[in-house]
Amino acid sequence: MNAPVKQRETAWRVSAVELNASTIEIKAEEEKAPSYVVSRLGAKMNRVLIAGVLTEKENVGGADDPMWKSRVEDGLGGNFFVNVGHYQPEASAAMADLEAPCFVAAVGRVRAYTADDGRVFVSVRPEHIIKIDEAARKEWMLEVAKSTWRRLKNVKLAASSEDAKVQDLVAEGLTEAEAEGVLYALDSYDSMPDSSVYLKVIQAACRALLPDRNVDFGFAEGVDGPDEIEMESGPGSADKGNHAEMEDLVLRLIGELDEDGKGAPRDVLERRAEDEGIGSIELEEITNSLMDNGLIYEPNLRYLKLI
Amino acid sequence: MEMDELTPHIQELKRVLGDKIDDEQLMAELNKYLNEYHTGIESAKRGIIRKYGGGDVVSSFVTASSVVKKIKDLDGSEQNVDLIAKVVFVDSKEITVKGLSKRILSGILGDETGTASFTVWEPGETVLEKGTTYSFRNCYCRLWNDKVQINLGNRGKVESAGGITVNVPERTIDVSSVAECKIGSIKEGMGSVTVTGKILSTEVRNVVVKGEPRTVYSGIIADDTGKIQYSAWSDHQLKEGETICVKNAYIRAWKSIPQLNIGDRSEVTRVDAVFDAVGDSSTQRTIAEINRIGGGLDIRVQGMIVDVRAGSGLIKRCPQCNRSIMNGACSTHGTVEGINDMRMKIVVDDGTGAIGAVINRADTEKVTGVKMSAAEQLASLQGEGVVARDLTARVLMKRVVMTGNVMSDNFGPNMIVHSVDIVSEDVEAEAEKLLAEVEGSL
Repeated sequence: MNAPVKQRETAWRVSAVELNASTIEIKAEEEKAPSYVVSRLGAKMNRVLIAGVLTEKENVGGADDPMWKSRVEDGLGGNFFVNVGHYQPEASAAMADLEAPCFVAAVGRVRAYTADDGRVFVSVRPEHIIKIDEAARKEWMLEVAKSTWRRLKNVKLAASSEDAKVQDLVAEGLTEAEAEGVLYALDSYDSMPDSSVYLKVIQAACRALLPDRNVDFGFAEGVDGPDEIEMESGPGSADKGNHAEMEDLVLRLIGELDEDGKGAPRDVLERRAEDEGIGSIELEEITNSLMDNGLIYEPNLRYLKLI
Repeated sequence: MEMDELTPHIQELKRVLGDKIDDEQLMAELNKYLNEYHTGIESAKRGIIRKYGGGDVVSSFVTASSVVKKIKDLDGSEQNVDLIAKVVFVDSKEITVKGLSKRILSGILGDETGTASFTVWEPGETVLEKGTTYSFRNCYCRLWNDKVQINLGNRGKVESAGGITVNVPERTIDVSSVAECKIGSIKEGMGSVTVTGKILSTEVRNVVVKGEPRTVYSGIIADDTGKIQYSAWSDHQLKEGETICVKNAYIRAWKSIPQLNIGDRSEVTRVDAVFDAVGDSSTQRTIAEINRIGGGLDIRVQGMIVDVRAGSGLIKRCPQCNRSIMNGACSTHGTVEGINDMRMKIVVDDGTGAIGAVINRADTEKVTGVKMSAAEQLASLQGEGVVARDLTARVLMKRVVMTGNVMSDNFGPNMIVHSVDIVSEDVEAEAEKLLAEVEGSL
């Protein structure tokens, strides 16, 4: 009689470290149902609210059909990978006007892409991206620190009560979404999250927000992110000597450039590969070997597609 | 089959066949079908009618596959069910379906086994008397908030029960369902509740119900968790500022905003309990809480503007009904000379959930810093699309505190905003608090 209420998906406040370390996806089973990426701390994210410094942007599409790839450093130890295509016209127009570096905030959908070796790359597709001031950036850091701490406590609570159900956790003060997320994370990841990783995020936020305090939770300054981040390395830094790594990179590019299911356009792939330090001859070799190994194929001569 | 179960069927057969069959014959036929040949009651009825009544009668006999049930046995999935029940309460209502106004009857039906709410969607000339027993035929049932609702659609029929009377047992009130509850946790579909709260305001209204003038005593009652509108048909002499305990009040929701009804079965007592009612200030809520409850009065939320929806910016309103119009025509009043206005439809997200909100011209001017006259000028130079984009860019990712009434529809909760302000957080103080908590637990 009454259609189910379609509530808008919450924009989770999450650090790049937590977002990028997510490897579990809940795929929509029905049409129009939302998909989620679940973080190790149980953030069940369809949408996120991110902020930080736009450190680089690049149009990897054409002048007529821009596809922006960019990085936003969150100041808490990680980088968001932010992609804007023609399905986000507003964000795309805003992106064209942004000049790196600047403070930005973005709200958008989370996308996960799983490479053949099982590694998961998480990116954000903004519905809106906008320049903000430093005060707004600090407010975002505070929200992330608070919600990260809350999720850490939720994990602890859920892990310590055996067979906890959603209602039990809701009775303890979690929201339904939090309770579902944390239980899903505990069931799906094969190990408990390493709390030091997330305490470092909170430490970084407290240090940025309280510069006069000597904030020290006992973690070293240098925060090394999970190795997923290393993969999305800047132009020219791909290790030319390492064939396997380049294959991974090309595979990932083909996946990413496959916007409409037709495959990755060769010309775009060539340009992207060149930016990553892979010349066209080298690219040819790599794609040939990937085809030989049955990892990609040519739907037609202008496209390459993952199998 | 027991005789009392058989009675409605006999009534039905008599009604359909009239004097074509006498009682003795009818019972003999039924006995043959049911006891000699062990057919089902429906086959028996159909057979008897076919034999004595002829084809025309049969075709009008739409209950072929209906079943007869008692209210207790309804599970909410019935497609075609007959009931003999007494009208415990009935009211005629005007509702709007797809922009058209129509009249329906709704209320509560009861039989020996229980009660359930019902709706007659196509009442036509049907008149139902409270306290009278009828035969409700070809009903369908739905579940709403885990309770069965009986519906009569265009196939449904209400007929005299032919002298059968049904005794509805005095309602036994389940003590657990009227447990004391906080106003802040009241939500639609709760049924009966007991609340203690302070009267914040009172109002006496004279209304006309079914042609009779009646007086409604209403107002706002609050405790330390929230406030709610109450209304009573009888005068409990409630005065502003006093604290009362209402036992066995029932909750009805209007557009998902729960309301407390003090009815005949409710008991009102004055109590000395002193507590901090939320008072004149609004109730601070997270959006997750609003999503759970559905709606409420005078609610305050804080969050970030994460989206601005279509329909924001400069609009024109119908001079007669004040609704916004598209392309110079009002959906009710046709082509009209629209009145210029400005508004925004924003989405606010606090990290626990998201809520839609509509802000009026004054508040739009306040949060964007753009006067309507300036917006109109910009529109005349560059078009209204540019205005909408400009306004959007000015408020996106801004933190706001807003107060208003919240109701829900199929797209989730929506706030009609009374006041909105852009705020900034005391980041350092909040960070200190967090730091102390984290360090304390390490």
